[in-house]
Amino acid sequence: MKKIIYKITFLALIVGAFTSCDSELDQVPFDEFGTENAYVTAADFENAIRGVYASLTFGNFYGGSDAGGMLDAPDILSDNVTFAQKGRGTRRTLHNWQYGASDEPMGGLYEVGYRLIYRANLLLAASENFEGENKVNIVAEAKALRALAHFDIVTFFGKIPTQSGDANGSLGIAYMTDPEPLAEPARETVGAVYDKLVADLTDAAANINASNGEGRMGKDAVNILLSRVYLYMGQWQNAINAANQVSTPIASRSDVVGVWEDSNKNGVAFYIPVNPPVLGNTIGVTWSQGGNTNLIPEYVVSYELYTLFADDDIRKEAYTFQATNNNDNLAFNAIKKLYKRPGGAPGLVDIKIFRAAEAALNKAEAYYNLGQEGQARTELDRVRTKRYLTPPSGETGTALRDAIRRERRLEFAFEYQRFFDLKRWGLPVERESFGDLADGTGTPSDQLALPASSNKFQLPIPQNALDLNPNLVQNPGY
Amino acid sequence: MRTKFSGILTLLLALVVQLTFAQQKTITGTVTDETGLPLPGANVIIKGTNTGTQSDFDGNYSISASVGQTLTFSYVGFDTKEVKVGAQNNINMTLQPGESLNEVVVTGYSTRNQTVQTSAVVSISASELALMAPTTSIDNMLQGKAAGVQVTAANGKPGQGAFVRIRGTGSLVAGASSPLYIVDGAPIREEDLSNIPNEDIENITILKDAATTARYGSRGANGVVVITTKNGNRNKDAVIRFSSRYGTSSYIDPNYTMMNASEKMQYEAELYALGVTGAAGTPGVTTQPGSIERQRLLDNEVDWEDILLKDGIIQNNSVAISGGAEKVDYYFSVSNDRNTGIIDNIDGFERLGTRLNVNFDAKEWLKVGVNVGYSRSMSDEPRDRNNTQNPFRGMLDYNAYETEFLLNDDGTVQVDENGNPIYNPTHTGFPVRGALLSEPSEDIENQTIGSVDALVTFSKNWSYGFNVAVNWGATRRESYSKPGGILDIILNGSPTGNKFDDQQHRLDFTVSNRLMYNLNKNNHNLNILGLYEYNMNEFNRAFVRSKGFPSALLTTQSNASELNDGFTNRSRLTLVSYGAFADYDYKERYLLSASVRRDGSSNFGTDVRYGTFYSGSAGWNVAKEDFFSVDAVNDLKIRAAYGTVGNRLGISRYASQGVVGFDSYPGGSSTIPTRVANPELQWETTETYNLGLELNMFNNRLRMVSDYFIRNTTDLLFGIPTAYESGVGSIAGNLGEIQNKGLEISLQADVFRSNDFTWTLGGNIIFLDTEVVSLPDGEDVTPDTAFNIRFAEGRKINEHFLIRYAGVDPATGRALFYGADGNTYFAGDLPTDEFDNRVFQGKSTIADKEGGFFSNIVYKGFGLRTDFVFKTGNWINNFVRSDRESDGINITDNQATNAFNYWQQPGDTGVLPSPIYASEDNTVMGNSDRWLEKGDYVRMRNITLSYTFPNKTLENTPISTLRIYAQGQNLLTFSKFWGDPEVGISSGETISYANSVAPGEATLYSYPNTKSFQVGLDVSF
Repeated sequence: MKKIIYKITFLALIVGAFTSCDSELDQVPFDEFGTENAYVTAADFENAIRGVYASLTFGNFYGGSDAGGMLDAPDILSDNVTFAQKGRGTRRTLHNWQYGASDEPMGGLYEVGYRLIYRANLLLAASENFEGENKVNIVAEAKALRALAHFDIVTFFGKIPTQSGDANGSLGIAYMTDPEPLAEPARETVGAVYDKLVADLTDAAANINASNGEGRMGKDAVNILLSRVYLYMGQWQNAINAANQVSTPIASRSDVVGVWEDSNKNGVAFYIPVNPPVLGNTIGVTWSQGGNTNLIPEYVVSYELYTLFADDDIRKEAYTFQATNNNDNLAFNAIKKLYKRPGGAPGLVDIKIFRAAEAALNKAEAYYNLGQEGQARTELDRVRTKRYLTPPSGETGTALRDAIRRERRLEFAFEYQRFFDLKRWGLPVERESFGDLADGTGTPSDQLALPASSNKFQLPIPQNALDLNPNLVQNPGY
Repeated sequence: MRTKFSGILTLLLALVVQLTFAQQKTITGTVTDETGLPLPGANVIIKGTNTGTQSDFDGNYSISASVGQTLTFSYVGFDTKEVKVGAQNNINMTLQPGESLNEVVVTGYSTRNQTVQTSAVVSISASELALMAPTTSIDNMLQGKAAGVQVTAANGKPGQGAFVRIRGTGSLVAGASSPLYIVDGAPIREEDLSNIPNEDIENITILKDAATTARYGSRGANGVVVITTKNGNRNKDAVIRFSSRYGTSSYIDPNYTMMNASEKMQYEAELYALGVTGAAGTPGVTTQPGSIERQRLLDNEVDWEDILLKDGIIQNNSVAISGGAEKVDYYFSVSNDRNTGIIDNIDGFERLGTRLNVNFDAKEWLKVGVNVGYSRSMSDEPRDRNNTQNPFRGMLDYNAYETEFLLNDDGTVQVDENGNPIYNPTHTGFPVRGALLSEPSEDIENQTIGSVDALVTFSKNWSYGFNVAVNWGATRRESYSKPGGILDIILNGSPTGNKFDDQQHRLDFTVSNRLMYNLNKNNHNLNILGLYEYNMNEFNRAFVRSKGFPSALLTTQSNASELNDGFTNRSRLTLVSYGAFADYDYKERYLLSASVRRDGSSNFGTDVRYGTFYSGSAGWNVAKEDFFSVDAVNDLKIRAAYGTVGNRLGISRYASQGVVGFDSYPGGSSTIPTRVANPELQWETTETYNLGLELNMFNNRLRMVSDYFIRNTTDLLFGIPTAYESGVGSIAGNLGEIQNKGLEISLQADVFRSNDFTWTLGGNIIFLDTEVVSLPDGEDVTPDTAFNIRFAEGRKINEHFLIRYAGVDPATGRALFYGADGNTYFAGDLPTDEFDNRVFQGKSTIADKEGGFFSNIVYKGFGLRTDFVFKTGNWINNFVRSDRESDGINITDNQATNAFNYWQQPGDTGVLPSPIYASEDNTVMGNSDRWLEKGDYVRMRNITLSYTFPNKTLENTPISTLRIYAQGQNLLTFSKFWGDPEVGISSGETISYANSVAPGEATLYSYPNTKSFQVGLDVSF
């Protein structure tokens, strides 16, 4: 009897031990997909390129963030806005230029910018084994996006070629063209980075579809960006040539308000539709919370800029609005560009990234720099006639240059360019001492001037990035 | 798995038919002390086996044993006695004070007598638990109870648990340093412990060193807490036990004072005069002293603490029925716990629990048992964030001159069109008091923990155990912004309403097979256990968020007009284990144990997913030697253990695989590369050395246990950050090495011991050293989910990394800081980048000495027990203080009265910096150690005065035992820390419980711990 028991016992152990559960250890994720399976078919590549675009919607990029992103930082660093005491004090260090490396101003952009670049590079690397008919266009889009991300990073963290004589040889950023998880690249010179931007964008412009539908870039968007890159490089004729490729017409005066209320898309060359549940970025939170009568603005239109808008300039109505905070009896000149759609949820509007008016203004500036004032005026008036009832005209010489610069400031106020424009023109930031309230009273911003020579024009490389990559060098002065 | 089940079942069936077994019967009796008082919780064990029971509250026990076997009776502080089972069915036992620590130690897979234990183990019995400060979550109760167990309450929210660390911090990632908790064979998450009613717990055994933790292989590296629930007694009429407790809780008065209305306005005016522009709009500036406007503000002064907080109610009722017949025993319980917490306008925590445990001798050779416990808990969740949506921040931010509601000029309350008073948004823009009503968030947890087991006794030596343990938790969080509510209007402008429902299901399923061999011959005792186990853990989640609710009364998603977000998630983690464990002793004198366990886990690289963990330990009880003749010494045991244990937590479940996820983007799907593969990803391994000494003297009136340990953890699991430029974030990998070592001492003494009067004093302490031994390339690592912690070779774990504050320059009033070169500078003058001046100062978030002590006096029926807990050597960055002594940075928020103590004139010392420079110096100041404070404290956790009615009084009543008591919790605290020194979570929405790498790093307005006073009674029939 006992023997039987022992036998059965040992059998039990053997059965238990060797009918192995090993296969139960082969678990694959339910919510995700093996990378090797994700870049195979034409549809996979369509998904993949949308994934690259999706990185633009990160908060620190074009997705709207309290911590500073593309949508707000170029204005917050400039003279276009005034710190609102009613707000939550966000980005105050940025606005006051009081940042050091450990504050990581725009560190989020630096990080997510490269995240986009990795996604683009992963797609580009995978595309080498792919021969679908959409390949040429998607590769072009990936290169254009890769260039856009590098461009946005380098304009913050490096000098701009026209900014000063030493700019092209100064510290730029690493230009990444391969998906290398363990890369620890060094910074390239500004000149090298801009050359690579041109290479990627030229390639993209030649191969991209005329249009890829909403949420994606087409030929016009790439050419606007390329034109801007050339403008920043001081290559005036190239800037004009690229801008000449842009066919989207400039929005007419009657359409301008509707563009910012999302009732039309005239003159918009690249935008990302924001509609929950596909995308739900409430990007307006960058400027304010609440509605017209209970507004909590973070920043308001600087009184100086507000008064710069002529009364017959449609942009005054399109870009700004009068709001109050009735609890505190405060009135503001508030920023409207990201505010909301009429009757819609606060902060929920499409993200506009490139507009056709830029092509004309880039050309005006380039022609002026080439000494072709007549051409420059023509391009400038192309915009002005669509903004004013009685547009100013006929300037020459420095007055023309200033008119071009002023128009650029007005047209692209709160549209991600002002700080870079001052920077590349070698100009200081000068804020007037008006307060944050609608009539110019109230409290001014803490800091009012940033000299053109200040190192603060080049933001410090984030401390964390320095810690993680021993080959990085910090910008001078930090 | 299915095939294996049926295989096993067939086998069992076969055994049923074929086997015959030794004659067994049930023995019952009562265990008493020499005076005839019952000894509850005495151990009754069949010698040489793992089978045993404990006596109940009345000293009664029952056990089934075979004729010829020997029963061992033991109780702490009493001599152990043995009786051979003969013809008798009833054995009453009187134990004499004397002998040793004969507690049974439950390791989950087996039990072992404390006398022959070779591992550092602490066992806490039900009777001890009953004496502890009652809390809803048992992890909180462990604080100060066991040497080497560091407990930091996560926060004071009712139902909230604690961060438990056994012998230091074993990992550098969040969620990976907690011990493994096993309830009746089923693993349970630390944060789910509050779903287990305390009354149901029979024993908590804490396994501290590898001699026992290695038996849990890949999961035991941070210690194991084995929780067993209660069973009934055989051959005993049902005992009905009723317990009830009721009391109040309240905010612990802080050791600082906030400004009242007049002080604050004076402060505002002073700072404005100094040039602090932020003060411009404050009433201290906009109203003149003596003016009507100023007087109105003073007349309407409020106390925000009174408005926002309340005295909470704590209530507990439980009924337990237990008993048994010859072949069956049962334990049944129902309990209800309620703790409203101290935030007015919300309800706090409520739990309903019920349990049934049954064991049945199906055959003489077959026992089957089932333990099932179910609990449902509901908890109102206040926002735990760092702004005024959190009432504990609101309480300090709101100024005393800001009223709860907006007032008309005549002083009456403003009302809206519906006649409801309008909340004052205050300067912060957010009236949290109204929001507590309009933005409710509730967690509802249903948790079922069940296990079934069968034990087949083949022969005197061989037996086989089969166990299935299931832990199923379903959590639902509903968070609603009611249409027209405070937040809704701010975010949407007009009444809209939005709500999310987040349902999470967690299933943990363990099947284990144990084959046991026991040999008990000529004073040689040998137990061998073979284990084969499969564990599967699955997580499922469904989340929906919508907006557009027609009425605040409608709360289900089906009423919403617009879907914003909806998704489901699923993930699974599996573990396959083989093990062999052996314990041996000779005359309880020479003791040996060894274990080996091989675990395969699904979250590691395919080729490296198996790990082998082993341990060896030995002990020698010198006092049992014939040559040892010191009468005063009852036990003198020396033991040593070595072993390796693993950890697999702290990384995602598929961390070794390279994957992409998908999201939406206009036009269709978007591919989101989420993870880079690391096929080399493997175990984090902890190697443990332990040397222990157990000493019992003077008839066990003095009891001491001391252990010295070293834990070396290598191949640390870590999300290794890559360069930003690579664009991939972090990659899960194994990096570096850390070490925890320390000395634990636990001492208890019966200072007096007589029939009527005993006075016991006891305490324990750990002296702990932690060190980061090596990191990849020797480079420092900054964890993501901490504020200013940095890991660096040769430094302590969780050291603060900050610029040193050097006080105020007496000449100018401006703050000074130490540069890295040791000189002092103003913030703007610091060398190179100002943050290059951050330094380590050996100040860690981890206490280097921690423990507890108690006094227990029993005189006749009266008992007075006090328990203290203490912690020292940890440093806390006091962000709350920085907001309250902000030098004018937060001038619009209320400030502590100490903020007045700022520099005024040259020569002032011992003052705060002049507010003039605050804005400019803010960044450096915020990263300085100005508010880094010692977290040392001693706190009287519990004081209980009780009376147990004598048997004589109850003789003619149906009541068999009756105890009444009054209990106070956290009534006394000794600490120099500004605010409450018990700091766990800083701010739950900044760094959540699950993401906390360095609990207690900083204060940031999380729910504070409370004090309470309760009365209660325990009665049984």
